[in-house]
Amino acid sequence: MNNDVMSLLAGVIDFFSQPMNWQGPGSILAHITEHITYVVIATLIGAAIALPVGIGLGHSGRGGLLAINISNIGRAIPSFGVIILVFLLAGFGVMPVIVALVALAIPPMVTNSFVGMREVDPAVRQAAVALGMTGWQRLWQVELPIAMPLIMAGVRTSAVQVMSTATLAAYVGLGGLGRYLIDGLAVRDLAQVLVGAILVAVLAMATELLFAGLQKLITAKGLQ
Amino acid sequence: MNWGWVASNTHQITAALLQHVQLVGLALLFGFLIAFPLALLAVRWPRLYGPSLAVTGVMFTIPSLALFILLMPFTGLSMATSLIGLTIYTLLILFRNIVQGLRGVSPSVREAARALGYTPARRLFTVELPIALPVIVAGIRIAAVTIIGMVTVTALIGQGGLGQLFITGFTLSFATPLVIGFVLSVMLAVAVDLALVGIQYWLTPWQRGVR
Amino acid sequence: MTNDHRQRASAEDRDTHDSSAIVFEGVTKRYGDGTVAVDKLDLTLPAGELTVLVGPSGCGKTTTLRMINRLETLSEGQLLIGDRDVMSVDATRLRRQIGYVMQHSGLFPHKTIADNIAVVPRLLGWGKKRIRERVAELVELVGLDEALAERYPHQLSGGQQQRVGLARALAADPPILLMDEPFAAVDPIVRTHLQEEFLSLQRRVQKTIVMVTHDIDEAMKLGDRVAIFAQGGRLAQFDTPAQLLSAPASDFVVDFIGADRELRRLALERLDSLELDAGLTAPRDEIVARARSYLQQAGSGGIVVLDEQRAPLGWLDWDTLKQADDRARIDSLSLKPWRHRLYLHDNLRSALNALISSPGEVMPVLNAQGRYMGVIDQLQLTRRLS
Repeated sequence: MNNDVMSLLAGVIDFFSQPMNWQGPGSILAHITEHITYVVIATLIGAAIALPVGIGLGHSGRGGLLAINISNIGRAIPSFGVIILVFLLAGFGVMPVIVALVALAIPPMVTNSFVGMREVDPAVRQAAVALGMTGWQRLWQVELPIAMPLIMAGVRTSAVQVMSTATLAAYVGLGGLGRYLIDGLAVRDLAQVLVGAILVAVLAMATELLFAGLQKLITAKGLQ
Repeated sequence: MNWGWVASNTHQITAALLQHVQLVGLALLFGFLIAFPLALLAVRWPRLYGPSLAVTGVMFTIPSLALFILLMPFTGLSMATSLIGLTIYTLLILFRNIVQGLRGVSPSVREAARALGYTPARRLFTVELPIALPVIVAGIRIAAVTIIGMVTVTALIGQGGLGQLFITGFTLSFATPLVIGFVLSVMLAVAVDLALVGIQYWLTPWQRGVR
Repeated sequence: MTNDHRQRASAEDRDTHDSSAIVFEGVTKRYGDGTVAVDKLDLTLPAGELTVLVGPSGCGKTTTLRMINRLETLSEGQLLIGDRDVMSVDATRLRRQIGYVMQHSGLFPHKTIADNIAVVPRLLGWGKKRIRERVAELVELVGLDEALAERYPHQLSGGQQQRVGLARALAADPPILLMDEPFAAVDPIVRTHLQEEFLSLQRRVQKTIVMVTHDIDEAMKLGDRVAIFAQGGRLAQFDTPAQLLSAPASDFVVDFIGADRELRRLALERLDSLELDAGLTAPRDEIVARARSYLQQAGSGGIVVLDEQRAPLGWLDWDTLKQADDRARIDSLSLKPWRHRLYLHDNLRSALNALISSPGEVMPVLNAQGRYMGVIDQLQLTRRLS
């Protein structure tokens, strides 16, 4: 058992130290780039769909509960199933992966932006009306800045989830860090799997840190 | 949709669904059994909260697929492999919500219970837990729904409940099993979610009519 | 200062200056579920005065207030500011011309104090320099420390936040100010302080102010006029505090003002409206024998001993004086001090309060410098009441 672990770790170190793993189309860097590309595209598309919905519902206060419940159930959509299904329908390409990841990214962002908007103190909301702000002014100058920490927390949750789920892309023949997992599984090369796992976990944590920093940067000082 | 395939494979579909339910149920149970005492400790000693959250948080970032594969040398292609993985993913959500729920009990209520002479254990079970229940159930709901989607990935290591139907569909290049697996897993999520809402409604009569 | 501002104000915010009386004509507010919050209200709130709307909860006083800046829409009737129907004006424009102060300050948590105060001037498109000057002016006007301007709301106490709320409402120098229970959320000591400062502020700015409260004491203390509302949104009486006390229109008003309304009347009059008794006094270096003869001549139970600045040192009663050595100075005897100090600007209710705990049968009254002006006794107060 101990020997197993030791040889596994040796395999990982060996993998990272081989120059050929760092160059060319199948290199670590190439896989990281592919991986991040999927994540960025999916998160951006997801945000473009989810944020207006969540923020709009939160601002108007109507139909929100229903949207939240639907969105929560949306978390149950199995990304693995979506990837294969879209693959069968649309054929080989980035499309299946992007569709699945976008579906994954949407729910946390809808929920968080809705809740963030609803949690703006009613007294503050009312003050904004009483001072003579128009609907847009209230949205941009008061509600959004106050809701921003929660909205960003939603984007962060989505991005991290998308980051680790993007590994499934490899199952339908695409690249990304999932290659190490799927290929490693196929040939029972656990060192390679561990390499993939470590890289994805590091990327996910880097995403966490990046967003934590970003959140701090754009959160108004009075709210900290 | 090929209903003929569905009719001739009801047995396989039912078995996959049952395994799915079993994996989700057990993962939630084990997750709760670990997260609950951990949360009590974190409420009692707030200094533990940060590190516990960090550890469960890091485990949440490991891609599920990788975690399942890495467990294989130890537990093989068994149910334990997928169960351990799934349990780990429930921990972060359950832990965070149990702590939040217990912390949300207003100090005056806690104080009143103490003044009335409740022992700490009695106070926890008859006062604090009931009040924290809505937040805790909210956590179980999110954990359950997330896990229901995630179980399918374990099909890659020979488990997977409804995920097996995905693999079947992929290898046969045949959409029907995929659609069935997909619909059933979303329906399962809806059913479990509604059931949890119902349980919460039943357990918290004082909340009815208030929102 | 405020006049300056009126001259500089743009045409938009001058609209309502000429006449800012607020007139309700048969105004009714009915909600979707059929409840009537305000029932055919006819009421004219005079320009430049502070009107307080008071009543039990659910009497429609807050709805009445909120209809003025259209936070609520009226169902029937007409509401005029000057000669303009509020329903004919764009709601957001109307609100920018009417200050609004609420119970919980409603300050924007993500903006500094200075930015909170500057909200309406910014909405009105004032220049940067003009806004900066106005903010500084307001910070001083409401009695805030200048250093707080760059802080955030959560760093301020409740009382300070309420001051900021007031400054924000006054920022564009609106002729009308609406206040929804502005002092309800602060503790009693701070509240009294804020009320007094607010009164002196109103004496300077002379705005048309409408304030809602559920506290009849606050209404009587602050209001030039008080409108008492009864359940179901009906107006029970609209009058000056003195009139409400001396001529309540109905049993409801009597009940609402409370059983101690005689005492409340005392609260409305100040000591300087009374003719004080000169009282019996002696300087501190007087000797006992002389003091004794004063007392016997006057037939009084005691004497007020004054120091060199004519500030009262204490009360010397007959029992103490009787036993003392003839040649002793009276300030070597045991004088009984007063627990309260009573000034000319205090009201008669405070005077009564002070009298009850006074060691003698009279209570000395001081001018603002703390010098003795005379005494007041229970008989004078009782006469005042009848």
